[in-house]
Parts: sequence; C-alpha cells; structure tokens
Amino acid sequence: MTRRRKWAAVPGLAVIAVIATLLSAYSGAQTAQQAGAAQQAGAAQQAGAAPAPLPTVDEVRASIDTVAERGPWAYSGASSPQGYAPEQPINFPHPVHVQGAGMNCLYCHFSANKAPDPGLPAVATCMGCHSIVATGSPEIQKLTQYWSDSLPIPWVRIHKVPDYVQFPHQRHVNGGVSCQTCHGEVQEMPRVFQYASLNMGWCVNCHVERQVRYDCSTCHY
Amino acid sequence: MSTTSGSSGLKRREFLKVLGATGAAAGTVGCSSDSVERLIPYLNHPDQTVPGVSNYYATTCRECAAGCGVIAEVRDGRAIKLEGNPAHPLNQGAICSKGQAALQGLYNPDRFRGPMMREGERLVPITWDRALQELNTRLDQAGPALANGVFINQHESGSFPVVLDQWLATRGIPGHLSYDADLNLGTIAAHRQAYGVAWPTIDFTQARLIVSVGADFLDDWGAAVPQQLNFADARAQLQNAPRFVYVGPRRSLTGLNADQWIPCRPGSELAIMQALGGTGTASIAQAAEAAGVEPTLLQGLADELRGAGRSMILAGTRGADAMEVALAAAALNQALGNVGVTILPGSPATAFERAASYADVRGVVEQMASGQVPVFFVRGANPAFTTPPALGFAAAMARVPFKVSFSSYPDETTLLCDLILPDHHALESWGDAQPVPGLIGLQQPTMDPVFNTRPTADLLLLLTGGGALSAAPLAISGATSPGVEVPGAAALGSQVVPAPAPGAVTTTPREHLYRDWLIGRIPGGAAALTSALQTGLIAGNVGQSAAAVRPAPAPVAALPAIAQTEGDFFFHIYPSPLLGTGSGANKPWLQELADPVSKIAWQTWIEIHPTRAWDMGIDNGDLVTITTGTGSVTAPAYLYLGIHPDTVAMPLGRGHTAYGRYAAGIGVNPLIAVPAAEDAQSGGLAYSVTKCRVTKTGGFDDLVTTEGSARQHGRGIAQAMTVAELMAPVTDDHGHDIPGVPSYEPLPGLRSPVAADAQGELADPDSKDKGMYDPQHWSKMASRRWAMTIDLARCTGCSACVTACYAENNIPTVGAPWQGRATSPLTWDERPGANIVKGREMTWIRIERYFEGGEDYGSNFDTRFAPMLCQHCGNAPCEPVCPVYATYHSPDGLNVQVYNRCVGTRYCSNNCPYKVRYFNWFGYGEPNRRQYAFPEPLNWQLNPDVTVRGKGVMEKCTFCVQRIREAEHRAVAEGRLVEADEFTTACAQACPSRAIVFGDAADATWSVAQLATDRRAYHVFGDLSTYTAVVYLKSIIHPGPATPVQA
Repeated sequence: MTRRRKWAAVPGLAVIAVIATLLSAYSGAQTAQQAGAAQQAGAAQQAGAAPAPLPTVDEVRASIDTVAERGPWAYSGASSPQGYAPEQPINFPHPVHVQGAGMNCLYCHFSANKAPDPGLPAVATCMGCHSIVATGSPEIQKLTQYWSDSLPIPWVRIHKVPDYVQFPHQRHVNGGVSCQTCHGEVQEMPRVFQYASLNMGWCVNCHVERQVRYDCSTCHY
Repeated sequence: MSTTSGSSGLKRREFLKVLGATGAAAGTVGCSSDSVERLIPYLNHPDQTVPGVSNYYATTCRECAAGCGVIAEVRDGRAIKLEGNPAHPLNQGAICSKGQAALQGLYNPDRFRGPMMREGERLVPITWDRALQELNTRLDQAGPALANGVFINQHESGSFPVVLDQWLATRGIPGHLSYDADLNLGTIAAHRQAYGVAWPTIDFTQARLIVSVGADFLDDWGAAVPQQLNFADARAQLQNAPRFVYVGPRRSLTGLNADQWIPCRPGSELAIMQALGGTGTASIAQAAEAAGVEPTLLQGLADELRGAGRSMILAGTRGADAMEVALAAAALNQALGNVGVTILPGSPATAFERAASYADVRGVVEQMASGQVPVFFVRGANPAFTTPPALGFAAAMARVPFKVSFSSYPDETTLLCDLILPDHHALESWGDAQPVPGLIGLQQPTMDPVFNTRPTADLLLLLTGGGALSAAPLAISGATSPGVEVPGAAALGSQVVPAPAPGAVTTTPREHLYRDWLIGRIPGGAAALTSALQTGLIAGNVGQSAAAVRPAPAPVAALPAIAQTEGDFFFHIYPSPLLGTGSGANKPWLQELADPVSKIAWQTWIEIHPTRAWDMGIDNGDLVTITTGTGSVTAPAYLYLGIHPDTVAMPLGRGHTAYGRYAAGIGVNPLIAVPAAEDAQSGGLAYSVTKCRVTKTGGFDDLVTTEGSARQHGRGIAQAMTVAELMAPVTDDHGHDIPGVPSYEPLPGLRSPVAADAQGELADPDSKDKGMYDPQHWSKMASRRWAMTIDLARCTGCSACVTACYAENNIPTVGAPWQGRATSPLTWDERPGANIVKGREMTWIRIERYFEGGEDYGSNFDTRFAPMLCQHCGNAPCEPVCPVYATYHSPDGLNVQVYNRCVGTRYCSNNCPYKVRYFNWFGYGEPNRRQYAFPEPLNWQLNPDVTVRGKGVMEKCTFCVQRIREAEHRAVAEGRLVEADEFTTACAQACPSRAIVFGDAADATWSVAQLATDRRAYHVFGDLSTYTAVVYLKSIIHPGPATPVQA
C-alpha cells in the first residue's frame, strides 16, 4: 500500500523534471543569444581592424550540433561553457597585436612553453609599449589608469578546467600542440571566447589520436 | 525506438538526463551566474619566478634551538612546503614534524594582524608609528629604573641575541634571558662541567652498547634530527648494530626503540648510575630496591657495560638531581673510555650555549613580584604557560607597569602584556644561526609578510636610529666561501634559486635594516651573502654577546626527595615529542598527529600500568584524578605497558588557556599539579619531584586514539629477525609449489602477474593483447613500476613522514572542536578529536606501533613500528569493488584514486586489507562548511599540484603522483628520461631515519630496486596475492644475554 503511494509521486516528479528541462533549455538559448549579440557588438567595434572572416560565437555554437547536445543535462561534464565570451575590463584586441604588430603568443603568455601555467602579462608589459603607442585610445587610457593607480587589470577568466584536472601547458606546447588547437584562432578574435568544449571526451580524443598517455592519473590527481 | 512522447516512454539514459536537469536547475537557482572568475596579473612581474613553478630558498628552521637547515618551496609567492637542506651539517636533508609545521605557524589564523595596545581590559589595534612612539615614551619615562628591566627571548643562536643585548645596553637594561623550556638544562650543565661544551656530538655508530638513563635523544634531548640520523645509521649496521638499553620510569619514543627496558621509579636514577659505576655508596641491591626492579636486571646491565667495549651512557632525567645524574653518566663515560670515541666533545653542537636556566626565570619572577621591574619584554618564549602555576609568573607580571611582547601569537604571556609588537615569522625574516662551530646557517625571507608584522631586529635598529648598533659589529670570521654544493637540489625538484640580490628587492618598500646590518658583518658584503644563500651556509662564527650576565638568583630551599613525598604513585611528567612544552599546540598538524607512543591526539592522557589500573577498577578512558600537595588534574587513563607500575605519567604541551583556536581548551596542563621545584645545581625546572594520589573520578572520556590494536595477532605486519636468522644461509622455502595454487611472489621488478595480464592471457589464453599494461605498448606507460621500501631497522616511529604527507598532499586535519558531526539538528559533537574517536582521521601514512611480548605485563616487551600507507597493490582488492571505476591500477604501478569519479560508496575501503583509504565525511576542503580545515590564511599553504578533496570522496596515498608527473615534465623538457633517484616522495624526503626509499623497481639502477631484493624484504599480507609495491625490510632485534625476546 505505502509502496504504491510512494511510486504514485513518480509521474508528478517527472512532470516537474520535464518543465525544469524545458526552462533551462530556454534560458540556455537566451544566454546564447545574449552572448552572441555581445559578440557581434564587439565585432562591430573592431570592424575596421579585422579583414579576415571571423568565426562568430554563433558559428562555433552551431558547429557543436544542437542545443540539446550542449545542454546542462548531458551529465558527464558536458555542461561546457563553450562559446563563453564575457566582456573584459579592457577590450583587448588580439588581432591587432598578433596580426598587426606581429607579436608571438609567448611574448605575453611567457611561460606557456616552460610551466604548467601559461602566464598572464604583467601590467608593466602592456605599458612597455603603451606608454608611447596609441596613448590616445580610450581603451589604452583605461590601461594607463590601472597603471597609475597601481591596480592589476581584473581580466575575466574564460578558459578553465576544474580543480581536479592538472593541465601542464608546457607539455602540450612543446609536444607540438598549437595554441589554436585548444584556444581557437585567437589571433582573429576581436573578443576572446571559449573555442573548445574542454570536456574530458574532447581531451581524451586528442590523447588517443596523438598516441599519448591517457589513463586517469595522467591528469587527475 | 521510443521517444520523449511521455514519461512512460523515457529510456533509462534519458531519465538520467532528466534527473540531471532537475539537479542543474536547482543548482542554477542556488548560485548566481554572475560569479565570474578573475585572472589577476602582476603589476610588475618579479624576476626569477615562473607562474606555477616553485622556487626554493635555503633558510634556517627556528622551531627549536638546534637550527637545522631547511629549503622552503615557494610557489607564486607563497611558501608551501619545507624540506631539509641536504647541504646542512646538522640535519643533512631530513626534517622533523615540528620543523614541517613551521608553515602552520607562518599561516596561523590566530596570529596578530598588526600591533596592539591595551586599553583597559581589551587589546586594540594601533598603527606601528603609534606603537613605537608609545614604546619610546614609556621607556623614557622609566628612566634609570630600566636597570631592573627584563627581556625574556626565545633561546636562539646567531646574531640576533647580540643585537638585542646591544639595544638593551643603549637603554641601560641588563642582558636578555635566552629561555627555552624544552631544553634539558641538567644535562647541558653537566656536559659543560664534564666536557667543557654544552652538547658534544654523540656518535651512536661507534658504540656497541647504548645505555640511556631517561635521555630521550629521539624526542627532545638535544638536537633530535641529527641524533636520529646517526642512531638510524647505527641500527642499520644490522648484525653490528649497538644494543640499546633504556633505563627510566616510562618508555618514551626513545625507550620504545630500545632492545631492553629496565623500569625504575623516578628519583632512583642516581642510585642506579652509582651502582653501575661502582661509585658512591649505592650497591646494585640498594639501587634495585630504590628503583623497584629486579636486581638481576641491573647486575646484568653492569656486567654487560663492563664487557661491551665501546659504549655510551646518556642521562637526561628531569628530577631535582638531574645534573648529578648526568655528571655520574659523564664520569662513567670517562671511566669506560668513551669520551673521544662515542662521545665527541671535540665537535660540539653550539645551539645550547648561553641558554638561561629556569632559576633565572624564577629570579625574574621574584624581582617582578617585589615591584622592582619597570618594564618587561618577552619574545617567542611563553613562560606564563611553561612554568608551573605554583611559581606565580602571571601574578608577578601583573606587578610590572609596562609589559611588551614581540610574539606573533596570542599566547598566555603575550595576552598579559600592554603593548604587542608582533614579530615576523622566521620564514619572513632575515637572520642567522650557529649550528656548529665555524659554520653559520643563514635565514632569509621566503615570502612577503602575511600580516602587518615587523621584524623585531629591524625595530631595534630603527629605535636606535639605525646606526648606533652597527657601530661595533662583530665581524664574522673565517673564509667567505662555504665550499659546499647542494647535492640534493635536483632531488628537490628544481634548482635552488638564490634570494633576490640584496638591494634589488623592490616588491615591497620595507626597510631592511637588519639585513643590511648582517651584510655589514659578512666579509665580502652583499655579494658574499647572495652567493652563500645558495646553500644557506657560510663559514664563520657569530660572536657571543658581551652583555653582563644577570646576577644569579638566590637559591631556593630544596624540596624533600621524591620518595619521601606523600602519595601512592610517583608522578612523572615529560615534554611531548611533538608539542614540546606547549609551543607546538597551535598547529593543527601537530595536534592531529598521534603521539608516537600512545597514539593519542587532541587530548592529554594519564599513563598508568594495566595491573595497577585494574586493581583500582580503571580501564582505558576512565577519568582519573591525580592529586598532589600542589593541585590536581583530571584526564582519561591510558593503560600503558611501558610505565613502571609505581608511576603515573602525563605529557606536557596541551592545556593552553589561550594561544589560538587550535590550542585553547584542548587537553590539560599537568604543571598545575607540580610544585615549583628546581635542580639546585643546574637551575633546571624539575618535573619529577612529587608523588601523587590517584583516584578514579567516575566519568569516562573516549581516548582520541588512532590505534586499532596494540598487538599484531600473528598477522606479521611489522616483522623482525634475529642476528642469527640474518646470518643463516638463504633457503628457498617460499611454499608456492602447492599444486594449483599460484605463487604470490611478484614478477621481477615487483610486477604483478595479474596486472601484467590485466587484459590478456588469463582471460583469453589466445590473446597477447595486454593493452597499455604491456611494457611494449606504444605509450610506454608500463615501463616503470613505482615502488617503495621501508627499512624497519631504521624506522624509529618518529612520525615526521606523516606531517610531511599532510603538508604535501593537502590532507585536512579533522580533530578541531568545531569539526565534529551533528548530534542533533542544532547540536554538534564538540569534543576535540570527535572525528578521530569515530575512526575518521585522514592520515594517508600512519605509523603503526605494535607490542611484542609482555603478555605477563612485565617490562620485557619489544616494540615494532611500521609506517602504513597505500601499498599500491598490483592486484588490488579495492579496484574490482568500485562500481564507478574511480580506482584503478595505472600501468606505471600506481593504485589511482580518481576523485572526480568517486561517488563515495566506500566499498574500496571496506575491501582494503591495509585500511589505508580515508573518506571525506565532511567538506573539510570546502570553505563554506563548518568543518573546513584550512581557515584563512592556512589555505595559503595548500599545494596547487594536488586536488583539495570535497565531501563524500575517498582518498589515499598517491605515491606523490604530482612529484612523479613533475619529474616527467622536467625530463621531457630536457629531452631525457627520468634519472635514477632523481626525485622522491614527501615522506621519504623528510624521514630523519632515512628508512623510506622511493623509486622505480623495474629499473635496477634505482636504489629501491636493489633494496627490494634485500635479504630482509617482505610484503605485508603477501599471502593475499596483493603484489604490493611497498616492500618492508625486517628490523633486527638484539636481545641481551639475559633477555629472551621473541622474534
């Protein structure tokens, strides 16, 4: 008797679950649209500086099948923030620096080939040029403000693997994996977004293809 | 087939997705999505640092007076690990638990944030300017009365005492008292009288017989780490190792390492010593009568001593006749010709020179109580806690109008002060130490200060205008080049990087007055200092202070001899090997670390012999009250075989009323029940001076013990062999030729026949595909077999490996009073160690301590220590029972626990024969949980290479896989393979006995591969066919002529 009653709640719970699923799919799509809009706004600002056709957030999102595949309900960590393109405190244009000025990734991300951590340029590194170059630009004036206030720039983190994953950059960079393999064509992104899913299946696929070690303790410890 | 047309049509997988979605929807509501993570760059990138790569700075450990060399691992500006400095002559790369725990002093959440001043009853924060102004004003007001001022400093060697005395002289204050309550003053005074040095080097390797009369040289008697290194070397001589006889009322950690124990009553040691030497009036029979022991045991020892050849007699009692006992030991050493052979006064340790005695502190108390003292300074020492309350230190301090503390922690003495000028931690400041003659150990800042503290030495120089004290520098004599390499630098994971060149430090605009003062003393100046900091050593001698010695205090009337006092038990108290006399109590690692003898943590216990306890109806955990003429203390009883039946014993170190959240209110302080008595000759505080009455109080308190059973029950966990067995020819009697029973001997290289076949022949005889477990597999993953050997002949049970593991692997401590479980919705189990009572401690490596023999409750029992950690079985029982494949055998021989796969069924732990898996019952690693183990800034110490585990996850020893990976990364970057013995695990690095060796057993060039084939090697529970990667080497027992001890 009581057992039957307990199970009687299952259809009700299932209805709640379905509603929640639809709601979250809807909100996910909303967020995607907003992010896409922001991305396009960013692209519009830089329209003059970027001649090459850029993959937009929408294009990247479209490339990963359907919304259903990306949704948070795919339980094995597949709730990737792929396509995440937050607004940064300073609208730093990678294309201008890489394509325009011909700078190498390692100029700023100086430890990507020698440490687990790729390195983030110190504010002084920016000021090394921008105390002279383009000092009139509003974005550079933001930079000079940070510098004169002795404040670090609070960049918004985009690429992140969970704390239980150890990702040594130097092994990948020195092993012939280009930066773009994981980060996309950053040199063409007016605003950086998360290019790859960074999900475990994505990692393992590459490890298998490249015939490198892929048992759990390679990365998880 | 079916689609999502209705709930009835859901497939299982889709149903799981729906469940996940509801969870995710709940999660979205719970946490706002605008919590973006920020990446904060440097403003200016500091030189010599690479993000995510450690720098290593050589400096000096100041946790005890010895002054061992340490290398601090600094990651992104924070010190995360201390390791021994291989180039240092004292500790030679080893480090003890206390030294490891210095980091928890540095990051202690209860440190003072900045200077404080008393306003009425409260201490309020003030600015440094105001604090220094206040200090100057009050000193000026005191005027000529300052000639009665008092400065009590922690005992330390080096230049700081010299600077301090110079500053005191500018103010007309007499020289400071250099006080360390942990020092064995009776022995030091006797050494000085007999040998002319405070501490001769003691060479155990040269002795054939070691006799220790209460000298706990592995606990707190002298410099524990160098003595332990040498003792382990002596025991590792196996058949040629010295026999060790311990005489004392209680088997301490040192006593448990002895081959034979002669129990005696406290206070009878002098009679025993005289009887052994044939000097004085006491005969063997009289001494045995006083000691309460069989005369044959003493006679046997006396005979053995005469026939032993090279021997040593060490004395370290803590009674009112401590110096006399030590003098008798010195005389015996002289008579037996041991001086210059095993006792080497020619190469002394200098750390204990100029130590003040307890009598000096008593003199200060008398002076303060009479109202003569206008100003009282204290730094590092905590005399209000470490002296018996009967002395009345706190009451006397209250008569001093102005009391200043330079201590960094809110200890009992500091909280009585009016002005608090918190010092930097030793890891934040410059300094030096003199461990041995002719060599100076340098101390350099390893990181920027955690709090708004300032180094006392800088303050002193600032107060005198910076220049006044350097007017008369004592030049450091000797050559500038130490001429020592750092042989183990590679083993430490990276090169030793020197500190930023003096003058080039630009990150924080702080004055470096003391550093510049030190540079002024060094021939060669800043350049010489910079190069010397590579090893942390420089040749030379720090001069002694020329300050006048304070007048000796008037002698006190001697108390009656302990045997004449009232009571039915002798009351014996002793400094804890981990917490000392109390300075370690605010460090959770040391509170959590089970006492090496009793295996009790977070608690004070009363040791009583089982036969006497049962007579009184007392069992383990029953509350017992000890009453003396001075006071009474109550604590749970611990029935201990290793105590003289007429004695009860209590450890010092706990029972703080202040000193921060990890110390206050934990345990009881036995000094409450001890009269303020001293050894009249040496001025040392006498601990064992009274008998006591013991009564059963009637309550019960669970012992916070990590021990399951003190007996092996024939399981052969910690095995030993006799010399005769060792010397016997090898016979092949493995017994694996029973038909149908597979061998449980591992394959060469400690490989398991099962793992090697994980996907192959046994399952499918035709298949040759062993997958990634095939050493020929393209990934080459299986070419190594990481393994470990543990030499039980070396292991002394000191537990330094345990603390090293806590530090390296972010292991939470679980015993603090707020970490217990909920007993009802709003009440919590707030007993200290409540989780440990339930068996929920997290120690990845633990020291198991087993007693052998002594079934008649006599003194004739043997002790075995066995470090127990994950055995990384080749055929692991934990692996097949995991329903989610969260644990598996990696091809390179690790038993891996994958935290993010683990769902916490605990099946693996149930199935582990070694019980080395630990479960996160609470969110010890989650800052918003009540049970969070790393309150800010303790979390600064966390190793970024190791995942901090969350609630509901199983964890265990990983063989320091992060170090394996780091070595592999480094080797790949340098285009080579990992070299033999290139790196090691945290436990092996710290081990002051050098008992643990780690490496690749499949490669014969590694030390571990050779040791694993030793004659003494065995696998624990090898008959379970677990094919463990941890190989133990049997210890060797040395029973005496008259002491049959079973193997």
